[in-house]
Amino acid sequence: MEGDKISNLIEISELAVGNSKKLGVDEVEGFVQRQRIIEVLLERGEIQSERVKIRRGIGIRAIKDKSVGFSFASVLDEETIRETCKDAFSLARASPKNPDWVSLPLPKRIPPAPNGLYDDDLSNLTSDEALNIVLEGYETAKEVDPRVSIDEGKLIVSSTEIAISNSHGISLYDRGTSIAFYLICVAKEKGKASSFAYEYDISRTLKGFSARKVGELAAKKALLSLGAKSVKPFRGDVILSPDVASEILFAPLISSVNADNVQRGRSLWANRIGESVSVRNLTIIDDGLLPYGLGSSPFDAEGVPSQRTIVIENGVLKSFLYDSYTANKANRESTGNAAREGYSSPPYISASNLLVSPGTKSLEEMISEVDRGVIVNRFSGKVSNESGEFSGIAKQAIYIEDGEMRFPLRETMISGNTFESLNKIAAIGRDRRATMMDVYTPPILIEEITITSK
Amino acid sequence: MIDLLETCLSRINEEYAEMRGHTRRVLSVVVKDGQIEAVVKGLNRGVCARALVDGSWGFSSTTIIDKKSLHSILMDARSLAYSSKPLKKRYVKIAPVKPHVDEYETRMKKDPRSEDIECFVEEVLDADSEARNYSEKVASTTLNLSIVDDEIFFVNSEGARIKQRIVRCFGAARIIARSKGNIASAYESVGRQGGLEVFEETSLRDAALKAASRAVRIAPKRVVPGGYYNVVLEDKIVGLLAHEAVGHTAEADLVYVGSFLSNKMGEKVASEMVTLIDDGLFPYGFGTMKYDDEGVPAGKTVIIDKGIVRSFMHSRETASQFGAAPTGNARAWSFEYDPIIRMRNTYIKPGDWTVEELIEDVKDGYLLRGVGGGQADFNGEFMFTVQEAIRVRNGELKESYRGAAMSGNAFDVLSNVDGVGRDFKMHIGICGKEQPNYVGIGGPSIRTRLLVGGR
Repeated sequence: MEGDKISNLIEISELAVGNSKKLGVDEVEGFVQRQRIIEVLLERGEIQSERVKIRRGIGIRAIKDKSVGFSFASVLDEETIRETCKDAFSLARASPKNPDWVSLPLPKRIPPAPNGLYDDDLSNLTSDEALNIVLEGYETAKEVDPRVSIDEGKLIVSSTEIAISNSHGISLYDRGTSIAFYLICVAKEKGKASSFAYEYDISRTLKGFSARKVGELAAKKALLSLGAKSVKPFRGDVILSPDVASEILFAPLISSVNADNVQRGRSLWANRIGESVSVRNLTIIDDGLLPYGLGSSPFDAEGVPSQRTIVIENGVLKSFLYDSYTANKANRESTGNAAREGYSSPPYISASNLLVSPGTKSLEEMISEVDRGVIVNRFSGKVSNESGEFSGIAKQAIYIEDGEMRFPLRETMISGNTFESLNKIAAIGRDRRATMMDVYTPPILIEEITITSK
Repeated sequence: MIDLLETCLSRINEEYAEMRGHTRRVLSVVVKDGQIEAVVKGLNRGVCARALVDGSWGFSSTTIIDKKSLHSILMDARSLAYSSKPLKKRYVKIAPVKPHVDEYETRMKKDPRSEDIECFVEEVLDADSEARNYSEKVASTTLNLSIVDDEIFFVNSEGARIKQRIVRCFGAARIIARSKGNIASAYESVGRQGGLEVFEETSLRDAALKAASRAVRIAPKRVVPGGYYNVVLEDKIVGLLAHEAVGHTAEADLVYVGSFLSNKMGEKVASEMVTLIDDGLFPYGFGTMKYDDEGVPAGKTVIIDKGIVRSFMHSRETASQFGAAPTGNARAWSFEYDPIIRMRNTYIKPGDWTVEELIEDVKDGYLLRGVGGGQADFNGEFMFTVQEAIRVRNGELKESYRGAAMSGNAFDVLSNVDGVGRDFKMHIGICGKEQPNYVGIGGPSIRTRLLVGGR
């Protein structure tokens, strides 16, 4: 079973279920993962290292008398699996009862896998091909302008297979691929350096990916921030790039609709289903079945079917996101939002693909409507997901006056509150982008943000 | 395992090759709002090979541990080194190091391998219940306790053969309080290298209560008004500043690409009250190990001595580049990563002021307490958030505010230091530099001047 002989992941997850049943568990779930990952690292503007990782492992959740134990191992021989089953079982017996525990999920009809989640080109990519992809991005950035240099970058290509089995009869297999690449560029002129410009691309397929685009955009962003100036503190309009919008608006939003946070008093939206929580033109859908979606899968990390869940419709809060535990607690159905970091992590709630409905304006039109404000492309600071307070440095920020971009800004702090800002959205752009957080959002214009420069 | 690694390596006549076997056993208990969220026990085991072929590194790892598989990752490492060679500009050389044959084990009174785990579950539940009972304003609690038991075997083609066992016991409490429609969170951690006695000496209960009292205190408070102020920074914030905003700029790989400290060797970059050290052998430090992951003995590196830059932190590669001695700073998170330059236990040396004396001379400023999060660029620019800001007027502590951000250039902040406390504390941290790692961060309280950001 070890070595190249493991062919069928489901056999292994079934074995764990069978072993655990013999031990006397009430319920059990086995999650097996096999991954091949190629990573190429650029540091100091040079290829620093390249790694090929073969990763595999099993995570076992055992339940006895409403107590849950979890154990994992990176070794998949029969003896280790037996030991890992015993560990999960004895941890369950050592843990106090959780009166809220109802059941692991029962089998349900699984929808067909959305298109574009698995790509043979990526799963067969060689390490030489990976190096060439990085080189392409690197060379493109260099070609844009001699003032640009590359600070760091990373390519991650992964091919992942998983199997989930539980004692209620769930027995599922799935596979997926992804490629992600980012570059951080800096431009230098007359001894002065621009701020660090960050650009990336992420895709499920090789065809949908372009390292060239990353290189070009990163270099252009770096050039754009040369010659930065300061401004006096003011309150004004801020256009958030898709990345910054994900970080300061949608991360707290996702946290607030996470049913676990809701049930535990960590969400300010706990009792607000059916109420208005934002401007009327904001509609947000969590879509686990989006074709080519970064967070898509036919079923979630517990084997519950994925689905489309309307979270906010025309500014009104419609639904929270549930896994089977929180759904059972609330006496309703799971929305298929259980996720795992890998075999070593018990499931937790996560958005799948969070889709923000686009508006009608281009970025240029949005800029033209700003009297006085900034456009922020990167944010380095702290966002409190619970309270929505954010405060940090706006990087790659450009000052806007009378509807025109004037000059890049130096070390500018922006601060505000997510939940107030959701009610001060003046415009939602039309061009949506998939961010590294699996949030698909256009740029967003917020009014009345405090902007402080040293 | 170490014999198996050596057998594999002995067949190779590389310029240089190394293999590292790493077994990590983890036990962790997470309690949320009085409910056990997870009791997790885990095993991660794997081996990696790194080869230096004609000035180019290659790296490969696996979780399959038999002769055939280990031989194949060694071959993979060589072929990756070979195929990436044309794309690399630098010809890597490594500084000479005496090959050590040695063993090290964390000094422990209570080895976790021989203890029962049920008491931990109780310990976390008790601490949680005390925190929840602290005030009705406590809205939510998350506590965790972890034991990480690492065994690392290192062999290289020069004859090094090192076996280390490092045990870390640690935990944390995050408490959320609600008051007047506001929500605020506070965080405290405990732990160090050592056996289970760690939890008796520094209890999770105390940390949880400290976090609970702070969360309750700041929840109804306003966010601090922004501005440039005289501030007294608490020990852990000083440790974060020393590590995150200053330490990284002294890592030779970042110095090489033009960090703030490049070309500043021997120059004054901080007040003469400031001495900043990265120590690989700090007793029971979270980042302490006898040898780094290149088999180099760990030592004490004085980075800034009384305000003057004295040394950088090196791997064997950068030591050769810089013509310096390796400092034992090459560390890897697991067998899935190649070693890179990392700090170990980074701190500012204590001075001779009491905390009261530091506060006494502040006419209008803040005492900043409790670390939130933070980021820094290698040019010294940083932005940290602190949990609580207490107004100081004419040397007296006044009202509390919550959630302040502090920012500036770390070297301006260190140059502005005009008082260093005699209090000192070492804390635990997990640093991310492409790969995570356990580090110690510490210091005394200091007084300086910086930009406090609010709303």
